Amino acid sequence: MMLHYFLRRAFLISFVFVALTVLAFSLSYLFPGEVLNNVSGLTTIEPEQRQALIQYYALDQSVLMQYLAYLNRILDGEWGLSFSSQQPVLAEIFAVFPATLELASYALILSFVLGIPLGLFAAVKADHFFGKLISGITLVAYSIPIFWWALLLIMLFSLTLGLLPTAGRINVLFDIPTSTGFMLPDILLSDISYKSEAIMDALRHLLLPAVVLATYPTTVMIRFTRDSMLMVLEQSYIKTARAKGLSRTQVLYHHGLRNALLPVIRQIGLQFSTLITLAMITEVIFSWPGLGQWLLDSIYQRNYPAIQGGLLVVSCLVIVVNMLTEILHTLFNPLARKV
Amino acid sequence: MKKFRLYFEEHNRGPLTQLWLQFQRQHAAVFGLVLFSFFLLLTLFALILTPHDPYQQNSDLLLLAPSWSPEGLVQYPFGTDDLGRDLMSRLMKGATYTFGIALITVIGSLLMGLALGATAGMSKGVKSSIFNHVLDLALTIPSLLLAIIIVAVLGPGLWNTTWAIMLALLPQFVHGIRNAIQDTLRQDYVAAYRLDGASNWQVLRYAVLPNIWEHITVMATMALSTAILDIAALGFLGLGAQAPTSEWGAMIADALDLIYLAPWAIALPGILVFASVLSVNLVGDGLRTAMTKRRDN
Repeated sequence: MMLHYFLRRAFLISFVFVALTVLAFSLSYLFPGEVLNNVSGLTTIEPEQRQALIQYYALDQSVLMQYLAYLNRILDGEWGLSFSSQQPVLAEIFAVFPATLELASYALILSFVLGIPLGLFAAVKADHFFGKLISGITLVAYSIPIFWWALLLIMLFSLTLGLLPTAGRINVLFDIPTSTGFMLPDILLSDISYKSEAIMDALRHLLLPAVVLATYPTTVMIRFTRDSMLMVLEQSYIKTARAKGLSRTQVLYHHGLRNALLPVIRQIGLQFSTLITLAMITEVIFSWPGLGQWLLDSIYQRNYPAIQGGLLVVSCLVIVVNMLTEILHTLFNPLARKV
Repeated sequence: MKKFRLYFEEHNRGPLTQLWLQFQRQHAAVFGLVLFSFFLLLTLFALILTPHDPYQQNSDLLLLAPSWSPEGLVQYPFGTDDLGRDLMSRLMKGATYTFGIALITVIGSLLMGLALGATAGMSKGVKSSIFNHVLDLALTIPSLLLAIIIVAVLGPGLWNTTWAIMLALLPQFVHGIRNAIQDTLRQDYVAAYRLDGASNWQVLRYAVLPNIWEHITVMATMALSTAILDIAALGFLGLGAQAPTSEWGAMIADALDLIYLAPWAIALPGILVFASVLSVNLVGDGLRTAMTKRRDN
């Protein structure tokens, strides 16, 4: 039963990956400029090189062969060169990607820690003043444009109060050797004498971007937890459980929570691509050296191979997260397994 | 009006009237509706209402403070920007771009979604399955990335990014409409209608659509708030509306250099984006609650 389900998932995922690579492949033709430049990432091509390159990238063959050659190169990790730096795109992505992942995961964790309890509270006390207050604040936070919110916080905490830094991941005075690319683990793994100061500084840099980025997922989490909890509390099995003589907390914990959090798990997957969009905007505002800032720099510099690579990486990340949440959802929900 | 009723009559209100009765009981939703109408009017009549030309540069009045500060002039309620353009006129004109174009985007996306969703909802088996997975692909590409790609192909501009936002909104419409249609198709009244000999098109037109349009409206309000936020964000990043255009996001980006000198030039467009999104969300939430309450009654 489960095996069949996983096989089906795997088939769908491979289909989506093929479609994604077709899209990325066709971009070399859609982008302005010569196809050969876009494919190879070389800004200047000598006439004597040209023939060899055309042969190498199979541009003299049919579109299908070109696509297969492209697929081959992608799998070999040869993603072309970046126009602006003439460095391999894949290496550049690996350098900036951990920063984005780090920021996004802290924001996601923050939204879990805050969102789920607040949502549950708002559902249990739906008619109470605090429940309404939480719903109201959620609606307001849900409507704030993220870049403006970030600017407001910068204006308040950095420009007026001077409490928090406005840009970067850590003060440039600290020299942290890169091993994982994630700032906090990097500091902990390194053998520097100023570890605690570096951690404090990194946390101070992290605070504003993480709060800004967490705002939207937290509100979504509160809204969904609240709505699905309210829905679950109306079900007849809750009444049955109460009638059996279970206490309110027992009912909430054993019968309510499990069922209410199922749609929330699914929602994480669905909202993940929005989270990535917001992370990109946050990175630009806080000069966070991540994938989003790198991609936006790429568009300002007309760096087409970089955009192509970014598309592949970001979409793969979203697909993988989507798939994981879906599998989790199925594992936790026996009803979904039958379909 | 009769003072008393002699005979007992059953009083049946139409579904729309019931919806409105439930809607107007929620003060927040009514407030949202008023705010929404205000923005709609501003969008339609911004050209007539603006006190000054939003693009007229006045070199004598650069960076004029708002009228509530001692240096301000009452003719320029929100002051002027660094080129001497009246900020209030620009903000009013901005409604046409941020709010108006978001509306157009949602309507366009909704129409496409309706066509695709209806096709997907009425079809079964392999065709519908393939369709679903192509959509899943579209869902995986974040809207900003989609906009970046479209800007890379077509060049920056408000209308080019509109396509990106439309495409980004499309999957949720198609999914939502498809699910709504399939839920309705399971109802007994549809089966009865089919037994009467209705064709697929007739079932869709007379049995399904009248029952899902409220659901679609709620979806559209959610999409509208996303669209406004996206247009403003793309304008802010310099991918959407370009420099002289007084789109709210682009205005914030313009004023960024003046963050110390003229913080109100950043605060005001942001407040407008916020207020417009809030109004849309309030109306959407109100509609949703009203629909649930009507169903429960």
